[in-house]
Amino acid sequence: MRIPCPYCGSRDIGEFVYRGDASPVRPAADGAEAAMFAYVYLRDNPMGRHEEHWYHTQGCRNWLVVTRDTLTHEIPSARLAAPLNAGDAV
Amino acid sequence: MGDGLEISEVTGLGLVAVMARKGVGAEAIGQRLGLAPGLAAPATPHWVGDGALALIGTGPGSWLARSEAPTAEWAETVIERLAGLASATDVSASYRVFRLSGGDAARLLQRGAFVDLATPAFAPGSVAVTVIAHIGVIIRQIDETSFDVSVFRSLGESFHHWLTTAAATL
Ligand SMILES: [Zn+2]
Repeated sequence: MRIPCPYCGSRDIGEFVYRGDASPVRPAADGAEAAMFAYVYLRDNPMGRHEEHWYHTQGCRNWLVVTRDTLTHEIPSARLAAPLNAGDAV
Repeated sequence: MGDGLEISEVTGLGLVAVMARKGVGAEAIGQRLGLAPGLAAPATPHWVGDGALALIGTGPGSWLARSEAPTAEWAETVIERLAGLASATDVSASYRVFRLSGGDAARLLQRGAFVDLATPAFAPGSVAVTVIAHIGVIIRQIDETSFDVSVFRSLGESFHHWLTTAAATL
C-alpha cells in the first residue's frame, strides 16, 4: 500500500505511523465525563470511506488526514492535518 | 547506463535546520537569508541555491540550510537572521553526507529507496526525505549523475556498509 503525501508524493506505507479516526474532536474541559469517554475510547468501525490520521515519520514528519476505503484500501485523497499557511496548496 | 560509481564523503559542511513559524511563507525565509533576489525557499521537495548557501526542502515549512565553506559564525548568523521568522538550530555535526557520482548512482539508490528516482519524477534540484535500509535519509540530486545522501551521524557507518554492499552487486 502507498500513501500520497501532499508534500513528499507517493510513499510506501512503512514510512508512516497510523493513529486512527481523524474525526473525533476533543470536548471542552468543562464538558461532561461521558463526552470525554466517547472522545478517548469510542470509535466507529466503518465499511468504506474513512478519514484517518497518519504521521509521515520517515518523510516530512507531518500529520496527514488520509481518506481511505476500508474495503478496497483505495486512497482518494490526503491532506496536511494542519497546513502552515491558510494559502498553502498542500 | 552503467559508467561507474564513486562514493565519497562531503565534510566540513555548515547545516542549520530551519522550521518556519506559523504564517511565515517560503518567500520571507528566502529573502531574509539573502538568497538570490526573488528566489524563495522551496515550498516543494526541492533545493535551491549554491555552495555558499543552499536551502533544502525537508517538509512543509522546514528546510536544511547548507554551506560548503562556512565561517565560524555562519550558523549563528543564519539563526540570527531568521529571528522571529523561524526556529533554527545548528545541526552541522548531526549528519554525515555521502556523495554518489556516476552513471550507476541512481541505480544504486533505487535499490534502497521506495521512491521513483527516474527522470522526470526525480531530477537535478529534487529532494526526497525517505528511508533506505531502515535508515532515514535526505536524498538531494545535484546534477544528472550525482546525489548527496545525508544520514544522522550515528547511523553513518551502517549506511556506508549498505552503500558498499549494495554497490558490489551492481
Ligand atoms: Zn510527507
